[in-house]
Amino acid sequence: MSMNDKKDPKRQTLEQEIKTTVDEETAGLDPSEAGKIREKVRARVLEEVERERRIRTAKERREEERRRREEKRRERLHEEGETFERFNRNFRFQHIVMFTSVIILIVTGMPIKFPEFVLSRFLVGFWGGIHNSTLVHRIGAVMLIYFMVHHLLYTVFSRRGRRDLVLLIPTPKDARDAVQNVRHFLGKTEEKPRFGRFSYIEKFDYWAVYWGCVIMIGSGLFLWFEGIVLKYFPKYILDVALEMHSDEAMLATMAIVIWHFYNVHFNPDRFPGTLMWWHGRISEHEMKEEHPLEYEEIMAKREKQEGAEGPGR
Amino acid sequence: MRGKFLAAGIFIALGVVAQGFWTPADAKVSLEKCTICHGKPEFRKILVDGKIRDLFATEDSLKGSVHEKKTCVDCHFDVSEIPHRQRPKRVTCTHCHYKGNAEGAPQSDAYLEYFGSVHGKAIAKGNTKAPLCQDCHGSHAIFKVKDPGSHVSRLSVAETCGRCHIEIYAQYKTSIHGVALARGITEAPACTGCHGEHKIYDHKDPKSSVYATHVAEQCSTCHASVLIMSKFGIEAEQVATYQNSFHGVASGFGSRTVANCASCHGIHDIRPPEDPLSMVNPKNVPTTCGKCHPGANPNFALGKMHVDSHSKESGIIYYTALFFKYLTIGTMLALIAHIFLDMYGRTRRLRGE
Repeated sequence: MSMNDKKDPKRQTLEQEIKTTVDEETAGLDPSEAGKIREKVRARVLEEVERERRIRTAKERREEERRRREEKRRERLHEEGETFERFNRNFRFQHIVMFTSVIILIVTGMPIKFPEFVLSRFLVGFWGGIHNSTLVHRIGAVMLIYFMVHHLLYTVFSRRGRRDLVLLIPTPKDARDAVQNVRHFLGKTEEKPRFGRFSYIEKFDYWAVYWGCVIMIGSGLFLWFEGIVLKYFPKYILDVALEMHSDEAMLATMAIVIWHFYNVHFNPDRFPGTLMWWHGRISEHEMKEEHPLEYEEIMAKREKQEGAEGPGR
Repeated sequence: MRGKFLAAGIFIALGVVAQGFWTPADAKVSLEKCTICHGKPEFRKILVDGKIRDLFATEDSLKGSVHEKKTCVDCHFDVSEIPHRQRPKRVTCTHCHYKGNAEGAPQSDAYLEYFGSVHGKAIAKGNTKAPLCQDCHGSHAIFKVKDPGSHVSRLSVAETCGRCHIEIYAQYKTSIHGVALARGITEAPACTGCHGEHKIYDHKDPKSSVYATHVAEQCSTCHASVLIMSKFGIEAEQVATYQNSFHGVASGFGSRTVANCASCHGIHDIRPPEDPLSMVNPKNVPTTCGKCHPGANPNFALGKMHVDSHSKESGIIYYTALFFKYLTIGTMLALIAHIFLDMYGRTRRLRGE
């Protein structure tokens, strides 16, 4: 823009005009102060002129509006401060694999539990019959098993994985947090519990998935390879596996649809859902609100680092 | 004018009376003529394949039957010369038996079902061995179905079918249904109980009542009825437990390869599980299951087959279901309570309380 300005003769006369007006007004001031004011006024006037020039047609006006919105958004983002990476790429990938497989498994599994349900016939017919449906169920199962193996390796061999696992272990503080949270909901206390990297809610979700995966994959493998299982176990063990598979599926589905969907989708703070599962980033504001202890920890660590680096600079 | 009417009236009345008079006499004449030859006990014909066709028929042949009042030429209406120049054709029952007939035959279109059936189609294709009406219902000695003397009565229909389906009849006769029926237990099904009466289709025909995906439904007409099953000490829940099992669900979704009742219990040779020849006797279970699950071993027989996780008799399965029931109720109650508390807290803060 500045390049254009210099070439434009009109712009130059305008600048001249600004200069004389401002000089008149700031005659009694300190030259440096006057210079600052002149710069500000100049920028403001130029911006205004530029805007006027651009708003000529409706189309241009719309573009202008969009540009202003964009600017505003950027400003607000700046206000919220920086964003932190909450979930790394590996973890996000694991979550995507898991929810894809779980959706496949629910869609192909539930019709077998509720054959009379209106949608069941449609869902089975969608794959082209029960045989194909069970085949797709096994594809989903392979994906879930892959996720489980991937996650176990991640928790063992990745530094972040190991750190997160340690942070996910339930502690007495979680029980206290839960009690305090309920008291907060009821208005008995104004203070919200201060969570670390994982709140008791997130810890519950994590271990619920763990329990679900162990039960579902374990019993599912029994049912998949029933021929091998029956070589070593009596038939009623298979019936127990079937019962577990069916009941835990129901529990998991209900927990996902009611609990998880409320927490990440229908909760008024989140509705209709955040994209954190995709970009893995959390804003400073949310960080302070929901994971204050982790935020403080990060800040303390950063300060320490800066302090250590300080003298060297 | 009046005279004309009177004359017409007398004329019609005479006609009616005359018909009443002459018909029996006419029939008598016809019967007498027929029995000249057919009344001799030794009147028979030796066929080319060595079989003997008995041609003996007298006045008494129709006695007591539903056609008691009919006479020979009512059915054998193509006979007009004696001795017959051509062999008389087989009797066509549909000459009288159709809805709207004026001969006094039952007003029913049941015969129409026959033409679409496996037997009717075989006849249409020219199979001379396939049965016509008289092959099952009898030729002269036709009685009502309720009459025990009928060929198609509950107790004798199996024998009638067995005249052609010999091997199946032998299997059926020793099966639990056959034995029960022979003992006079009329709840037990004969052939028609499962296969239908006139609309008998090939078991591979989707219209058939014993088509793979219809078998469970067919068996359940009796086996799901507590009223019938309680008489014989058989559990009526077997149907429900099958329908809830994977076999039942897959069959309900149209799978023809998955096991139905007959796959495990047998088709015509269904026997009680205590019978060593039964397919579901624990000793035979590995062989039975092995038809679909190769390498089945005695482990297949350990545990109840028709498992109902809600009944205490299922043991460990019942307790597993119970554990998960309370786990689910407990977890979901806690989670839903947490959600509602959260929403309550939010509402309070929004109101500024």
